Amino acid sequence: MLMRRLVLAVPLLVGILFFTFMLVRIGGQDPVGLLAGPTATAEEVEMIRSDLGLDQPLFTQFAIYLGNVLQGDIGRSWISNRSVLTDIAERIPITLELLLWGVALGAIIGVPVGLRAAFKHDRLFDHISRSVSLLGFSIPTYFLGLLLLFVFFFLLGWAPPGLGRISLLITPPPTVTGSYLIDGLLAGDFEAAGSALSQLILPVVAVAIISAAPIVKQTRAIALEMIGSDFVRFARASGLPAERVRHIVLKNSGTPVTTFIGTELAGLVGSVSLIEYVFAWGGVGQYGLNAIIRGDFAAVQGYVMFLALFSLVVFIIVDVLVMILEPRAGAE
Amino acid sequence: MTLLHVENLHTHFISRDLDNEIQIARALNGVSFDIAPGEVLGLVGETGAGKSLTAYSVIGLLKPPARVVEGSITFDGSDLRGLDEEGLSKLRGSEIAMVVQNPRSSLDPLTRVGEQLIRVHMAHRRTTEEAARKRAIDMLAAVGIPAPEQRMRAWPHELSGGMAQRVLIAMALMNEPKMIIADEPTTGLDVTVQAQILDLLRELVESRNVAAMIITHDLGIVAHYCDRMAVMFAGRIVETGPVMDVFAKPAHPYTRTLIASTPERLREGKRAILGGGAPPNLFDLPPGCHYVERCEFADAGCRQTPPWETVGGGHYAMCARLAAVREAANE
Amino acid sequence: MAELTAGAAPRPKSRAAKVWGRIRGVSRRSPTSVIGFGIILLFGILAVLTPWLMPYNPVEANPDLILKGPSAANWFGTDSNGMDVFSRVIYGSRFAFGIAIPVVIVALVIGVPVGLYAGYKGGNIDEAIMRVVDAFRVFPSIILALAVVAAAGPSLLNIVLVIGILDAPIFVRVVRAEVLALRSSNFVEAGVIVGNPTRRILFVHLLPNAISGAMAQTAVRAAWAVRISATLAFLGIGIQPPTPEWGAMIRQGAESMVNGQWWVGIFPGVALILMVLGLNMFGDGMQDLLDPKRRSAGK
Repeated sequence: MLMRRLVLAVPLLVGILFFTFMLVRIGGQDPVGLLAGPTATAEEVEMIRSDLGLDQPLFTQFAIYLGNVLQGDIGRSWISNRSVLTDIAERIPITLELLLWGVALGAIIGVPVGLRAAFKHDRLFDHISRSVSLLGFSIPTYFLGLLLLFVFFFLLGWAPPGLGRISLLITPPPTVTGSYLIDGLLAGDFEAAGSALSQLILPVVAVAIISAAPIVKQTRAIALEMIGSDFVRFARASGLPAERVRHIVLKNSGTPVTTFIGTELAGLVGSVSLIEYVFAWGGVGQYGLNAIIRGDFAAVQGYVMFLALFSLVVFIIVDVLVMILEPRAGAE
Repeated sequence: MTLLHVENLHTHFISRDLDNEIQIARALNGVSFDIAPGEVLGLVGETGAGKSLTAYSVIGLLKPPARVVEGSITFDGSDLRGLDEEGLSKLRGSEIAMVVQNPRSSLDPLTRVGEQLIRVHMAHRRTTEEAARKRAIDMLAAVGIPAPEQRMRAWPHELSGGMAQRVLIAMALMNEPKMIIADEPTTGLDVTVQAQILDLLRELVESRNVAAMIITHDLGIVAHYCDRMAVMFAGRIVETGPVMDVFAKPAHPYTRTLIASTPERLREGKRAILGGGAPPNLFDLPPGCHYVERCEFADAGCRQTPPWETVGGGHYAMCARLAAVREAANE
Repeated sequence: MAELTAGAAPRPKSRAAKVWGRIRGVSRRSPTSVIGFGIILLFGILAVLTPWLMPYNPVEANPDLILKGPSAANWFGTDSNGMDVFSRVIYGSRFAFGIAIPVVIVALVIGVPVGLYAGYKGGNIDEAIMRVVDAFRVFPSIILALAVVAAAGPSLLNIVLVIGILDAPIFVRVVRAEVLALRSSNFVEAGVIVGNPTRRILFVHLLPNAISGAMAQTAVRAAWAVRISATLAFLGIGIQPPTPEWGAMIRQGAESMVNGQWWVGIFPGVALILMVLGLNMFGDGMQDLLDPKRRSAGK
């Protein structure tokens, strides 16, 4: 499975690169204008045109593009006036912080609920949790963020305004990991860490709610499948006590559920971007969305590329994890 | 003195369809049979006759919407229908053990084989893990698995079908059961392996005086390995008796058709498998005898529930037309 | 149960009783699908009867009525242009259907034939198609939609096309799975033996059965379409204010919401949630009903 994934990754990557390459050419507009941005001078426009070979045939353009990418040059953002690679690279840990905490919380809530729903199949808890899960699927991410801000910031005053990762009045701690919370703790700056924590709560809760819905649904489905399996039936026929049978179901559900959460991580970067946008979080997501909205197409290319690569890496990590956990994997 | 006494067992699947009409599939319609201690009963029938369902009804492992709606089940003096889930699970795997089809997929994929054997033993006996381990190794040896200590650490997916079935038999023996229910124990196994498994089963059952119910659709197995047999059709046992007697003088039209075709099939190298003809629709069974649509001897009297008739010593059949059948046989 | 009068012949039922029985039977198995259908029906009625249900002109600006809270005159209050939120929310239902229906049609028109083709041909063509489908899965589709629409321009046509194309792979997979299942069954082999030419087999035999699988996904995909188009509008890439589309309205309301004028953004948000929820519930229920594997843990 792993080998297959790695081998397939190559054409997939090329496909993704081709897609991002074509992105600025959709709609028939002049790519140079899009990439250079409205603030570019005529000289800069010409420079970009020749750098990227935009007067050459498409194939050559793509070759140049590939060459640049492999050297780490994804283009220049006309908004920040810096290399897109730098822009994105320094924002990755910021997004990761939100994503990981959010999905972790979502899993901590979602997995037990899904399991319970499966064990109490077709009873009240099952029906209620399925409906709530459907609700989770139906709330738009950004609206959830706004709603949380409205209730917990405006109405209750418990949470700080959604204006970024740390209170505007506090100096951020020196950067070690990129996470203000961790860096604050590392530096012993508890005021900063505390502020970072309070800013984290609402966006993390939003991500948790969004991620919990599919996790509940899939965990329930997996557990139900286990419960209906041959070996569970046989375990009951062997007179194993209900506790034990439940334990068997849980153990066997572990790998598929973990795999699923991994896929969720990959799929959630999109929603996380919207949360970042609403809370001014300053991660890759907000950067990318701003780039899309304001037409910073070099940055858009970088953002799309990042998303695809991130998904790929997550899938590979999950595969490795499965190989370690599953005794059967070696036999495949 | 009977070990298992099942009388008038009715098991139905009750559900509502999309039109909110109640749909009842009458899967078992008055199943009655006995098993004496140490006796091997072969339960034969086509697919869908209700054989496995009988076994699961006895040990109380029916999945909704299936329910036992009527009948009595007495095992070793206890009324099984009166027991709750906890009481039943004390019996399962201990006094009544099961060996099932698909042995490889019936073992917990994430637990080593030895651990599973120990687990079953310790669920029912107060003992140490040491003692359980030793017993597990003994049982693996008893079922003919070479190098049993090493095999204890095997994963289920590493076993062949035959090996896995031996493990299941070992598991069944862990707690010195009074009865083993073997549900199609050799279906899906290699032909050579099948004979080995059945020989093993028969030998163990005899040497330990364990009763057995072998569920199968293969008359050959019944002929070679069982003391008595019960023939099922559409949720009823239509004939029961000592294997020799039933094979020599089948009384019920259904049994006759099957046994008559058996030597020919065996001669042709085919397996003596039951089948042929449309399976009855469990939602809409004919009143009276369920075999009426396929029976060459049916007449108007068959619209009533057929009586149990005695055919010989311990040999009974559920048919109203036995005399006519006997006449046809003597021609 | 008193109803267990085994063998009693059922009384013949009137047509009305039959229909009611069907409703009760379906809602017993899957209450969500019935509730979902009800919600969709409600919004459908709103969309059709919009002109008669709106108390005010949804795009008529009233400078003296800016940001007034809910009142007897304006049930949902007014927004920053003085427009009546209630009327705008009702009008927004037209956009929901106006986007969901074309998107689903596009996705089906592309996805079903491709799925049929891939499933039937098999081999390398099938492999290639599935590679492309898998590639779509690696990608968060929201961002794809955003990026493409941003690049190509926020016209309604572009939005419908992009979301439709993004939804198509799901149908390709579903239909292909159905085709593969049917292919190995006796059903199709009989057709091949009799010598039906390929196209006939596809359309007459496989299509009806494969489509049933696609239908179950349709509602869920429609829900997704409504969500994404609202997201596009919210970010300012899709439909723009003052057009009364729910996503655009949430965008307008975002600022106000955090400052206490909650009605501008919350009402369209709730409408959006309900619509998507209704579609999701209906689709989820349909999947339960049509795919026996998804129901209880087996018999």
